[in-house]
Parts: sequence; C-alpha cells; structure tokens
Amino acid sequence: MKPRVAFFDFASCEGCQLQVVNLEESILDLISVVDVVSFREAMKEHSDEYDVAFIEGSITRPIDEERLKKIRGNAKLLVALGACACIGGVQGMSNEWSPEENKKEVYGDLPGYEHTGDDNPFFEKPIHKAVNEVVKVDAYIPGCPIDRNEFAKIATAVLMGKTPKLPNYPVCVECKKNENICVFELGEFCLGPVTRAGCNAICPQYKSGCEGCRGFLDDPQTNAHKEVLEKYDVSVEEMLKRYNMFNFRKEGY
Amino acid sequence: MFGVMERNLHIHYPDAPPMHLHRDELPNEPVRYMNKKIMSKDNWLSFVDRLISDDRREVVGVQSKGEKFVFDPLDNAKDLKLDHDVTILPPKKYLLPTCEELMRFSLSDGFEMESCSKAVPRIIIGMHPYDLIAIQQMDQVYLGKNPDENYKNRRENTLIIASDILTVSDRSFAASMGTCTVSDGFDLLVTDLGDAVVVEEGSPAGTELLSKYTSAQDAGEGDVAKVTQLRQKKQVEYKVAVDVDKKEWAGLLEQNYEHTVWKERSEKCLECGSCTLVCPTCFCYDVEDTASIGLKDGVRTRTWDGCLLRDFTLIGSGEVFRESKEDRYRHRYYRKGKYLPERYGFVACVGCGRCATQCLPDIADPADIFNTLHGSNMRGEPKILAIPKVEEPDMAEPLLTPRPATIKRVEKMAAETFFEIELDDGQPLGHVPGQFVEVSVFGYGEAPISISSPPGGNTFELVVRTVGDVTSKLSTLKSGDKIGIRGPLGNGFDVEGLKGKNLLFIAGGLGIVPMRSLINHVLNKREDFGEVTILYGAKHPKEFLFEDEIFRWHERKDIVHKFTVDQCTGDVCWEGNIGVITTLIPKVQFDPKDTTAVVIGPPIMYKFVIRDLKGLGMPDENILMSLERRMKCGVGKCGHCQINGIYVCKEGPVFNYAEIKGYPEAL
Ligand SMILES: Cc1cc2nc3c(=O)[nH]c(=O)nc-3n(C[C@H](O)[C@H](O)[C@H](O)COP(=O)(O)OP(=O)(O)OC[C@H]3O[C@@H](n4cnc5c(N)ncnc54)[C@H](O)[C@@H]3O)c2cc1C
Ligand code: SF4
Ligand code: SF4
Ligand code: SF4
Ligand code: SF4
Ligand code: SF4
Ligand code: FES
Repeated sequence: MKPRVAFFDFASCEGCQLQVVNLEESILDLISVVDVVSFREAMKEHSDEYDVAFIEGSITRPIDEERLKKIRGNAKLLVALGACACIGGVQGMSNEWSPEENKKEVYGDLPGYEHTGDDNPFFEKPIHKAVNEVVKVDAYIPGCPIDRNEFAKIATAVLMGKTPKLPNYPVCVECKKNENICVFELGEFCLGPVTRAGCNAICPQYKSGCEGCRGFLDDPQTNAHKEVLEKYDVSVEEMLKRYNMFNFRKEGY
Repeated sequence: MFGVMERNLHIHYPDAPPMHLHRDELPNEPVRYMNKKIMSKDNWLSFVDRLISDDRREVVGVQSKGEKFVFDPLDNAKDLKLDHDVTILPPKKYLLPTCEELMRFSLSDGFEMESCSKAVPRIIIGMHPYDLIAIQQMDQVYLGKNPDENYKNRRENTLIIASDILTVSDRSFAASMGTCTVSDGFDLLVTDLGDAVVVEEGSPAGTELLSKYTSAQDAGEGDVAKVTQLRQKKQVEYKVAVDVDKKEWAGLLEQNYEHTVWKERSEKCLECGSCTLVCPTCFCYDVEDTASIGLKDGVRTRTWDGCLLRDFTLIGSGEVFRESKEDRYRHRYYRKGKYLPERYGFVACVGCGRCATQCLPDIADPADIFNTLHGSNMRGEPKILAIPKVEEPDMAEPLLTPRPATIKRVEKMAAETFFEIELDDGQPLGHVPGQFVEVSVFGYGEAPISISSPPGGNTFELVVRTVGDVTSKLSTLKSGDKIGIRGPLGNGFDVEGLKGKNLLFIAGGLGIVPMRSLINHVLNKREDFGEVTILYGAKHPKEFLFEDEIFRWHERKDIVHKFTVDQCTGDVCWEGNIGVITTLIPKVQFDPKDTTAVVIGPPIMYKFVIRDLKGLGMPDENILMSLERRMKCGVGKCGHCQINGIYVCKEGPVFNYAEIKGYPEAL
C-alpha cells in the first residue's frame, strides 16, 4: 500500500503549502508513490488515517497544541514544513512582548478590541512555538518559504526510509559555489555564516543579506560571527534585531 | 561511454609520463613551442569573436560581475577582460564542477546504471599563470596513476588561453610563490600590450587555433622585449610578500605543530569553508545519492567539500575525527605546505590571495601564517609526519563507477548481516586480507566495508552493522538483489611478510570482521606461520560473530584462543572471561619480541592494547592495526579519510604502529 500523507496548517501564511502545490509535474510523480488524504490547500476531502503528516505553521494557542498532539498520535512520521513550523517563524518575534502589548500594537483602540480578551479562545495568550516545542518531529524542511527541491529531497528520503539530512554547513558554502559577491563587501550584513544552507544562498544572490530563515546550524560559530559584525560596524541593536527575526531565542534543532 | 578524444593531450607532467595513458595520447617528446605572434587589438577581438561564432566549443572568459570578476560563457569579445585582478572562483570549476552527476541509475525496474562523464568541449580565455599552475597540480592528483574518468574527459576537452597579469590583486603574493608567470601548460598565452596583443603558442592545438581563425605575424624582438618588461614591472607591484621560500614551508610546519597561532586564529574561524572553496588548489569532494520524487530513478552527484567544515570527518557513529576547530584550521595549512608537497612535489598554494579576500575574519591568508611562523621563535615538539612511500596499485577502471554484483547469500547475525557476493562479470575479487570494498546501494549511497573472507574463490563475504542510510538498506536486501562494488581498495596485510612469524590476533567487536579474512587465510595455510594466538572480545556474549567458525577453533590443537565480554547481564550468562580485552593479554603466553600482534577494534581499544603490549616489551614495529576514517572515494582523492597527510583508503587501512604513532591524528 502507498503511504498516506496529510498536510496541516497552523499559524502560517500557507506559503509553504503553496510551494508544494507548485511542484507542478513533480506533484504527479509524488502522487504516484503516495496517497494524499488531507490537503486543505489543494483538496476538499479529509481523512484521519495517515502515515506521514506535514505540519505548516507555528503553534500558538492551547487548542492548537491539542490538535497537534492528536495529529502526532495518528501519524507514524511527522515533518515540520517551513520556518514557522521548524523554528517559530517571523511571528516568534512577538514572543518578546506580552500578549496585551501585541494586541495593542496590532489593533490599537479599534472598536471590537475588547472582544479579543482571554475569554475568546482565538485570542488565548498567543505564544508562538515551533512544532518541536510541542511534539516530537522526525524531519524538518526549513525555509521561508521552503525550497521545492529540498521538499522533494526530504520527502523522498522519508519515503525511502533514509535519514532526512539537512546540510550542516553555513549558507556561505552555497554563496561561494554560486560565485556571489559577499554582501559584506557591498555594505550589507549577513547571517549566512551561522545559518544552515540549503536555499542555494538565494538572498545573497540577490545582493541582500541572509536573515536566517532556515535556522541556525547545529554548532553556529556565533562568537566568531559577532566579531565579524563588529568589524563591519554593525550595531548590537541591528544585530539582535536580525538574529531575532526568525530565530527568537532559538538554538537550532 | 567516454567522449571522443579531442586532440593531443597537452598536460604538464613533472615526472615521468604516467604509464596508464596510451602512448598516442601524449606528445612524443616535450616540444617547446616558442613561437610568439603579434596582432592588433582589433584583430585579437575579432579572433575571439570568431572563436565564439565559428568554433564548436563553448568559449568562456573573464568578465565583470559588479566590481569583481568571474569566468562565464562569452557572447561577445568586448565582454572579455584581460585586466582583471582575480576571479571570485578559480577556473577549477570547469574541470571539477561545483556539482556534477557521476552516474544515473534506475530504481524501479531491474538494475541499470549509467556513468555520466560527458564533457562540454571548452576554450577558457584569460586564465592567469597562478591558476594555470594550480590546474597542473590538479592534473597530477586527478590524472596520475588511476585517473578520475570525469576529470580526464573534461581536461582533454579543454583548451587554455592564458593571459599575463596586468592588474595585481591586493592580497595576491604570486610573485613570492614564483607563480606570476608561466612558460608552459597553456595552449596560447596572451599579453595585452595596450594597442597590440602578443600571443605565445604553447601547443599544436594552440597553433592550429590561431592559424584557423586569424593571421598573425611573428612578434619582433621589440615586442618580445615589451612582454618581458611588462612582466618585470608587474612582479614588483605585489603588496604582499612571503618572507620564507615555499620550499621551506614544510620544515617550518614540522617545527610548529604546537604553535599558539593555530588556536588563536582558529577561535575567530566561522567554519564557513570559504577559504577552501575559492582556492584553486583545494579539490576535496563529497558524494551523495538522491532519488527522483517518484522514486523511479536517481543520481549520484559529486560536490565540493572542504576540510574546514566540521562534518568533513564525521562518521555514522557520530564521531568527528578532526574534532577541534584548531585541528581543522591547522590541517589546511599542513595540506598546502607539507602533505601535498611531500606526496606530489608541489606546494599546494599558488598565492592567488582568494582565501585572504574571502575570509571575513581575515585569518585564512597563508602569507600571513608563514610570515608569522617564520618570525616567531616558538618551536614545539617537532612533528615529521612523513608520507609513507607506497607503490600505488593499479585499480580497476573506471575509477568512480561500481561493478554490478549479486548477493548470493544473506544471514542475519547478532546485530549484523552477513553477505556472500559475486561480481556479475564472474571475476574473482582478487583481494588480500585487510582490504575493503565500497558497496553501492543505489539511491542510498556508498559505504566502505571490509572483506571478511580469505583470498580465493569466486565469491567474497561481507559483514555489515546497521548504522545509517547505506547499511540500513543493505540489511533489508535479499539473495538475488543487486549491489555495486568498487575495489578491492586499500593496502591490506603484507601476508608474505607475515610468513614464519608468531601471530597474536587481538580483535574487539566488529574488528573480527576484517581480521577473519587474515585468520582464515592463516588457518588455511597453517604450516606457513609460527604460533597462532587469537584473543577476541565483545561487549556481551550475544555479540560474538561467526560462532560456528569459532566453535571449530576449539577442535584445533594448533592455535590458542581466548574470549572475553565486557559485561554479562540478564538471562544469557557465560562462563568465560569477563573484562575488557586487555585482561586476556596476561593469560596467554607469547614472546613479545618474537611475535607480531594484529590489533583491530573500536578506536578506544587501540590505546589500551598498545600500552599493555609495549609494557610487555613488544617493539612498536611488531604491532599491526587497521584504522577507520570517514571515506567517500576510497582512492585517495576526496580527502575525507586523511590522518594528517596519510590517506587511510590508500596507505591504509592497515598500518604498522611504528610508522603511524608519530601522527597526532592517528590514535
Ligand atoms: C576501511 C573500513 C572498513 C569498514 N568495514 C566495515 C565492516 O566490515 N562492517 C561494517 O559494518 N562497517 C564497516 N565500516 C564502517 C562503515 O563504513 C560505516 O558504518 C558505514 O559507512 C556507514 O554508512 P551509512 O550510510 O550506513 O551511515 P551514514 O551515517 O548515513 O553515513 C553516510 C556516509 O558517510 C560515510 N561514513 C559514515 N560512517 C563511516 C565510517 N564509520 N567509516 C567510513 N565512512 C563512513 C560513508 O561514506 C557513508 O555512506 C568500515 C569502515 C572503514 C573506513
Ligand atoms: S515559513 Fe514562511 S512561507 Fe512558510 S508558512 Fe511560514 S510564513 Fe509562510
Ligand atoms: S554573503 Fe553572507 S552567506 Fe554569502 S559569503 Fe557573505 S556572509 Fe556568507
Ligand atoms: S539566504 Fe538566509 S534568509 Fe535567505 S533564504 Fe537562505 S537562509 Fe533564508
Ligand atoms: S591557499 Fe589561498 S592564496 Fe593559496 S592558492 Fe589557495 S586561495 Fe590562493
Ligand atoms: S574562510 Fe576564514 S572563517 Fe571561513 S572557514 Fe576559512 S578560515 Fe574559517
Ligand atoms: S581520499 Fe577519499 S576516502 Fe580516502
């Protein structure tokens, strides 16, 4: 029997699922080896019988945690899809402030603001968690959004019973292979040296510094990196802002 | 399968011509082409345009990328730069691409594989002398004995139009390295004199190219003098110099293995690998299998790798052999200044300065390191680290493509799986005890596995412990399934040299697997050897391998054998010795001075066994061992398995303790 695969989304922009839908011809190849039983982005049917669950989005509210734990219970393998699921994503930044402060920032004094209190389940103190802060994760497909080739690679590894391995070297490696001009030489700064490669150094390719959307390496050389940032006159403030953008208090996975 | 031979191979061989190349591939005798031509700038440009439009080869040349330069395909001669300082990546990218397919295989029906060594015929324009010299070094590594088929094919299809350096790069120290000019190795060499261009012919192919696409006059004495003047003028424009001659680098390194500079600088290292990736004389690689998304087929790809990256020496058990940042940082300099020079006769740095420019913390500059070592009087314990001189055996060609083989028999052992394997071409493997093979499971990868059976016979045996991707998949295969085999690889034991000797075998855990090949060989030819003692330890009684064979040892009166387990828990208990393997040594009688010990086991075992054997008075040279390292190529090219400068896959895995003990990375 073909393995049954389901996709679920939590707090996310659904951009990663869209990347999967956009696999185009390859999606047919994928479907020839798996049965997709649940995929809100692409189909109406839904089933709770699945072997592999792909999770998109960060986990925000207690009701989400419950839902995720149920999925984990049903699935043999659970794959975190995208930066939100792998490391909390951009919304992780909001963890720096209290839910009240965040609410105020977003809604200000708009009418209806009072209904966003703790009594409303949709506004229960949102703390953005990565999926692995709630349940065990078997494989990660990082990036914001994910890279289609990497999705294919990790998905086939999972289907073949291989260990789904991510690169454990920094973005700089791909940057060099692509013969990019290092953005430090262009007056920008970059988290590439501490960030896990796999995106083909796409941001530096377009002359902008890496923001770390794929999460840190297993053993990021943060001290050496800080020295480099200092050497290039990057202020501590700018540095922290960038570090926290995707990786708020994260140490990789 | 291989591309058509394009032209006479024009490659610089410093030593004798390698015997593996067919005679007609080599120039009959090294003809020195000294012809120099001159043409106007306009004629030069139209020559390049004619190459682009009329020659069937791809024409690549140096072009601007922002403020920097890169080699890229040329559309128009006007885009070509001859006044560049240095390109971001060296032209090695055309001979050893950043990522290349080695083979394609089918995963769905049957067993099909196809090696991919198609080469795009290419003309490269604008290569600076230091890059050309780096390519000559790569030729020695990749085309020496046992050439790499993909590299060879590309190299034979590449024509080089080198160019003299007009703009000296800020961080280059090519003048100090003697690499800012060249006298051979190119097909053509251009010197841009502003209004005119002098072109020197370096090969028949270069001469032919010129006569086919342009008509140039012979350069006059005045023109040639201008070229010489230009070179002399440029030579003194270098801002960076190395104060110590490159011939002395090796000696300096021998004295300074423990210098504080390694630790100090490495603390700033980002482990980004840039210094190795951009270097024209770094050519280590990694190999990976991937499957298409429908699992119908897959490819084996080779990509650039580098010793500054931590996982370069990582093995399945999680162990990293070059563990500290300091060790990784130091290794690069030793490889350039000592290991490769001793192995091949060239200093593996051509002074291009790319590493210095690309290293953000600015700690990768060899000029700086060698000047620092030269200027400081810190000397630690000298480390000679000589490369053993081993005659390289002929390996089956092609080097990178496995031979199809069939699994004849599978048996589940303790936690391992036993395989009997036959090559599909019906040939015996032809190994000696201690050698290994690279086993391919297509889509999963390749893993080095010791040959466990003694020499002889049309099949051979392997025992595989399930660790990661390749070994897990192997453990699910059945009789009749196909795998790929490369090898036999490695040196193996000097069986002839062991004849007449008293032998003490000490095996721990999986160490029995390669040792069994030698033990069974010795037992088959028992009369050729002296006393035989076998000590074998496992963690737990359940983990002993080859129980049947061991049982038969009991019946033999001509050997002594003892077993031990580290511990004995639960239901299965045991009447034999309990304790680590060293506790067996005092229980057997042997003359330490007149016995050869063969020791194979997990890394930690060696230290203790050697300590005890030496304690009994056994001379170092009587101890033989087999070492394990991460491996990819198995043929001394990819760089992963190095113990300092030694390739375990080639000079090992069997080592004499006396030879290896001085290497800090060995034990
Ligand atoms: C000379 C030699 C002889 C060996 N003989 C045996 C044997 O007889 N039986 C046995 O079970 N094992 C043996 N090993 C160890 C075996 O090679 C590894 O367990 C195996 O490579 C793990 O591969 P994997 O794909 O399952 O693991 P992964 O962790 O997925 O490894 C990925 C790749 O890394 C490399 N690698 C990982 N671990 C090792 C390692 N320990 N040594 C070298 N390369 C490694 C391989 O290229 C491997 O394909 C030997 C190793 C060496 C160097
Ligand atoms: S990781 Fe980025 S693209 Fe993917 S769902 Fe989250 S926000 Fe969207
Ligand atoms: S641009 Fe960023 S990723 Fe690229 S080399 Fe520079 S620091 Fe590294
Ligand atoms: S360069 Fe950095 S921010 Fe950009 S995609 Fe890659 S990991 Fe993400
Ligand atoms: S070590 Fe540095 S200077 Fe030497 S060849 Fe390599 S990149 Fe160039
Ligand atoms: S380029 Fe510099 S920082 Fe990067 S690995 Fe090399 S020495 Fe370390
Ligand atoms: S050099 Fe590649 S495995 Fe030894």
